[in-house]
Amino acid sequence: MAANASARAVGIEPGLRLTDAKATLPDLLSEEIDRAADLKALTGLAAWMVRFSPLVALDGEDGLMMETTGCDHLFGGEAALVAGMSRRLVQAGHGHRIAMAGTPGAAHALARGTGLGEPPVLPSGREAEGLAHLPMATLRLSPEALTLLRRFGLTRIGQLYEIDRKALTRRFRSRQAADAVCLRLDQALGRRAEPFAPLRPPPEHVECLPCPEPLTSTEGIGDGLQQLTERLCSALAVQGLGAQGFMFSAFRSDGAASAVTVNAARPVRTPDHVLRLFREKISRIDAGFGIDLLMLEASRTGPMAPGSRPLSGDLAGTGFDAEAVSGLADRITARLGEGSVILTVRDARHPPDKAERQVAYAGQVPEVEAAPILGPRPVRMLNRPEQVSVMAQVPDGPPLQFVWRRRLRKVVRADGPERIAPEWWTYLPPAPGERGRLPRTRDYYRIEDSDGRRYWVFREGLYGDDRGMDPEWFVQGLFA
Amino acid sequence: MDFATLKAKGLVRTAMAPPAVRAEFPFGLGEPGLHEIAESAYGDRAAATGFLLAAIGQGVCGAWVWVRQTSIVLDTGEVPEAALPGLSSRLRLTVQVRTAQAGLWAAEEAVVSGAANLVIAEVEQSDFTSSRRLTLASTRHGVPVVLVLPYSCEGATAAASRWRLASRPSAPNRHDPHAPGHPRWRAVIERCRAAPSATGQAFDLEWNDETLSLSVVSGLAAGPAAPPAAADENRFRLQAG
Repeated sequence: MAANASARAVGIEPGLRLTDAKATLPDLLSEEIDRAADLKALTGLAAWMVRFSPLVALDGEDGLMMETTGCDHLFGGEAALVAGMSRRLVQAGHGHRIAMAGTPGAAHALARGTGLGEPPVLPSGREAEGLAHLPMATLRLSPEALTLLRRFGLTRIGQLYEIDRKALTRRFRSRQAADAVCLRLDQALGRRAEPFAPLRPPPEHVECLPCPEPLTSTEGIGDGLQQLTERLCSALAVQGLGAQGFMFSAFRSDGAASAVTVNAARPVRTPDHVLRLFREKISRIDAGFGIDLLMLEASRTGPMAPGSRPLSGDLAGTGFDAEAVSGLADRITARLGEGSVILTVRDARHPPDKAERQVAYAGQVPEVEAAPILGPRPVRMLNRPEQVSVMAQVPDGPPLQFVWRRRLRKVVRADGPERIAPEWWTYLPPAPGERGRLPRTRDYYRIEDSDGRRYWVFREGLYGDDRGMDPEWFVQGLFA
Repeated sequence: MDFATLKAKGLVRTAMAPPAVRAEFPFGLGEPGLHEIAESAYGDRAAATGFLLAAIGQGVCGAWVWVRQTSIVLDTGEVPEAALPGLSSRLRLTVQVRTAQAGLWAAEEAVVSGAANLVIAEVEQSDFTSSRRLTLASTRHGVPVVLVLPYSCEGATAAASRWRLASRPSAPNRHDPHAPGHPRWRAVIERCRAAPSATGQAFDLEWNDETLSLSVVSGLAAGPAAPPAAADENRFRLQAG
């Protein structure tokens, strides 16, 4: 059970059972804990805290951990950073405890162990001194370890400093439990390193635009984005880089942030192009009661080949203007979604339905060695072969009549077969005792019906090949 | 204003002859401007696609943008690379869209981008405004645009021409009388801005995929294949006798 401040004032502490709490205060209001909603809210707050430092991580179920190394000078020092953070959180209506220290463990203990006054800032190297008077419960220990330490009379972190480690280890039931206590203490004091897992990787290039007056209109956001894009692109140009991912974040003064991302198929740094990609999505940013900070980040940067564009696509060596094609693909993807722009790649495989595959366009045109086309190929291929019921047939020839899509079609002329053997090397035999489908030879026929329509049909299997039931017929494609 | 901007705005393009529309077959199909090819009945999409590739596909290399609506792909399949001409020097970008409106937008975007040498859009429907927009963009940027439309498409259009395609029994096969020969289609020009008098004219076409020639066949020759097999047998008998 968790309890808020007013519940604690009447003696209801977290960890109490609900029946006991109700006995203390009959008209107590209680709710189920919704951990999923808590996590969502905490993640949302973490996205907003990115305005102070790009490295934000979740700390347990109710905390955020931030790495602010190198960020404090932007806000006028560590104390000013923490004070500003606290002020903005109060403005946004979030109750909070905040502390800054040289190690994550010390910051965790300090934030939870001190009162709600001025946020404490513990200089690096003075952790032992700063943590000495804090309660043991702030050291991130398991409940069993805490109970045991309390039985020894160890309630303050400082009491652990002087105790012999070997003697302490012997008091615990298992070595792991004792090691966990020592690890947490060492991590808090900076004697052992602690990994830090930020929610998202730090961006490679960032431009920020603080707004003196909160922005509420889409035009204002658009203007801000334009300024940011121009600054970011010139910063990229100085280093000879282009970026493939751009993320535009808008931080609201009420503690919420919204972000939109666009992707490019190959590194770009043309402001006009980036702005066009953002144009479709900028309306998704919810301005709320006002945005006071805009931020544009570039990720997946890579070198851009300097060079001049061809005058026209047909004058380029490849027959097309790769940069223009890439730009077009970016714009279509930004509006219609990922995977809208597709390249068809030919594979060196014989089965007609596997000879080509479709891949999302990713900036490069893959060079794949294709199998030579042996026979006539239809102008339209169905996505998957459609089974037909054949009315009249001869064992080793094309059908005389068949029903496809509920219409009877009379075959007038036929050509074939083109025999295509299955890819037996991709076939996995079924487990003993199970019946799987054996790969079967296909005979393809080019046929024409009495209406003048031409089809590509195939018979899967041969009569008497001992590979399952009677052969089945499918339509694979349509000839012109 | 840099060169790329000028090119994107359609102010500069590589030297090409002014689009002189000839009042004869194929009435400007494959030249800058919007053309529409429609099925004449359900199931004629293969004929429409074959006519499209035969009439203009041979001459255009570079980047093709092929916009297609998902419902059409699910129904009549897709056009494989193997069916397209000029495999080496061509890139086909396929744009998969859910709605006809998105498809027409993508087609216009492709024309304006300066990246495409040919834009083909397979959509369920088109309206006058969209076709007018595409016509303007296409003539301004010098990129041919072809809409492949279903049989249900009727009504006003700003396109330079609208063709209606139907499959016909194929040509007699010289090597095997029982096998289908070169494909034949009946192409009716429903609308034609270049030559209004040609409206309603029907062409019986035969496509030879070996010589890559599209020829008009006479009504007599376009009839069903005669059964020459029986005649041949009789001739052999006469000679033997």
